[in-house]
Amino acid sequence: MRETIQIIDTQTGEPVDAEIFDEVALTHFIETQAEWRPVILAAARALSQQPNQGLLIPRHFHWDWTRKEAELKLLAVKFYGLAHEGKLQGIMKVETVAHSCRLPEQQGKPLVYIDYVESAPWNIKKLMAALGQPQRFRAVGTRLFEAAVLQSREEGFRGRLGLHSLPGSEGFYINECGMTPVGRDPHKQNLLWCEFTPEQAERYLAGE
Amino acid sequence: MKFNKDRNWLAKRAEQEDRHFISVGGLISRIDPEWQAEVSSMPNVETTKTAFVRLLQLARRERRLSLEQLAQKADVDLGELVKIESDESFKPTPRTIHQLAEFLKLPAKKLMVLAGLLQVKDFGLQQASVRFAARSEPVEDVSPEEHAALEEYVKFLNEQ
Repeated sequence: MRETIQIIDTQTGEPVDAEIFDEVALTHFIETQAEWRPVILAAARALSQQPNQGLLIPRHFHWDWTRKEAELKLLAVKFYGLAHEGKLQGIMKVETVAHSCRLPEQQGKPLVYIDYVESAPWNIKKLMAALGQPQRFRAVGTRLFEAAVLQSREEGFRGRLGLHSLPGSEGFYINECGMTPVGRDPHKQNLLWCEFTPEQAERYLAGE
Repeated sequence: MKFNKDRNWLAKRAEQEDRHFISVGGLISRIDPEWQAEVSSMPNVETTKTAFVRLLQLARRERRLSLEQLAQKADVDLGELVKIESDESFKPTPRTIHQLAEFLKLPAKKLMVLAGLLQVKDFGLQQASVRFAARSEPVEDVSPEEHAALEEYVKFLNEQ
């Protein structure tokens, strides 16, 4: 799968074409490691020095991406990449087997689980603000999230989606995307499990 | 997949995304001291870069290839190859290094480290790179000593 979509260029404020694809390869992981990591480290350091921010560092800030090659071969795992003019701007990992729905009305039904989603650090407004630099592109995470919802539809899961939100992201998934906060997961660092029903997924895609 | 093409939808969603982080999955409780140490004890990029440029030059000359021929055979941009060999501060793209690694039959990750694209803690690599850089000179003909140094270095890169 490879499709042209639009993201927003912050320099012009206008939408620009980008590509979203699922043929993620080791070279993308290496690009992530080589290009993103120094910026992420600098931003993580800056954030850790801000009051109340030091304890909330996402685990993937620490990942050695080059060791994740084996996961590319797993059938129940899919990676999506988003690139603008060949440069990787965001990446997402979803799973379709390891998790199922927890909301009482759809308990046990299959869903698409987002295990990891992130924009390149230069596209994250809060990170760039911590470094005193401008953001490059907007809506990269939005497009990847949209791809996960669309995959859920294609798999026959009707848009059902689940994820463990980090504390700093809960507002995004609950208030902006409209997911239901189901409860804290003691097996996952007490992170909040959020879930989409088919109706919520449709509302998200429609922009309600 | 049918992505939303509506500009207003995109603008609204971008606005929402900008107000938050979107991270999922898990936390680390703090910046690990080892992680911090990893950055401060990285191999000296200048040394590995010198070794990388020498490696490329010697490997090319041993195969009796011009820069243009190497660019063609490895399917990389000639301009980038010229910059790699002539400007040690130039940062090549991951794709080019990947292509060169395939052509030279070397591990891509190692080559990324040498080219300064990846930072990993590897003192063995650092030492081997210093030795190699010291034993090779960018001259026209590959001397027997350079040939031996190249062979030893390539063997080291492939062994680890």
